[in-house]
Amino acid sequence: MAAAGDEQREMLAQRLKAAVHYTVGCLCQEVEEDKDVQFSKQSIAAIAEITFRQCEIFAKDLEMFARHAKRTTVTAEDVKLLARRSSSLLKYITQKSEELASSNLEQKEKKKKKSSAAKGERSPGDQEAAVTENEDSNMA
Amino acid sequence: MEERGGGAGDFRKHTVDRLLRLNFRDGRTRVNAEAQLLVGELLKVFVREAAARAARQAQAEDLKKVDTEQVEKVLPQLLLDF
Repeated sequence: MAAAGDEQREMLAQRLKAAVHYTVGCLCQEVEEDKDVQFSKQSIAAIAEITFRQCEIFAKDLEMFARHAKRTTVTAEDVKLLARRSSSLLKYITQKSEELASSNLEQKEKKKKKSSAAKGERSPGDQEAAVTENEDSNMA
Repeated sequence: MEERGGGAGDFRKHTVDRLLRLNFRDGRTRVNAEAQLLVGELLKVFVREAAARAARQAQAEDLKKVDTEQVEKVLPQLLLDF
């Protein structure tokens, strides 16, 4: 049982490693064009391997940060904490997080209207308005 | 296929989620959508930094090609910064 689980985990790790390798290849290509250098295959493989290992550290830190806050779900706050070592990195991640939060806010507003319309918590008049709005948001 | 935020160089949300969950000790630990996207960004910055620093190292050595030797040279400081 445990052996089969290990094997499956190993297969998943190999697939993930391949996915990371592919993305690293794309990113290195961008840097190649940018800086007018070439990356050897081995150097791309090395960066991919380093990134894959770094994920292990990231994951364990994130899990501990979440647990420290008595959560089982990792949130944006934990990721910001992960990027604390370099101030420019922290700034970049915080900015990205704010961008995401503002775009999520709009979606949440729509969802809120949907769910409250579905629950039928509003007065009949309000509910009718919510339903028409709901249809509008589906059209968009 | 799946929703892909930006260009070809982006880590997929699904990939990030699997990568993290592969390494969690507690099977109950989850990652919310916002955190998935942010970790994707973080990984992208990490790879770009590694590549850019290795490229700069190669240029400092008057080389046109980055090899593992240049990656090795920039690795210690890279790991200290992340």
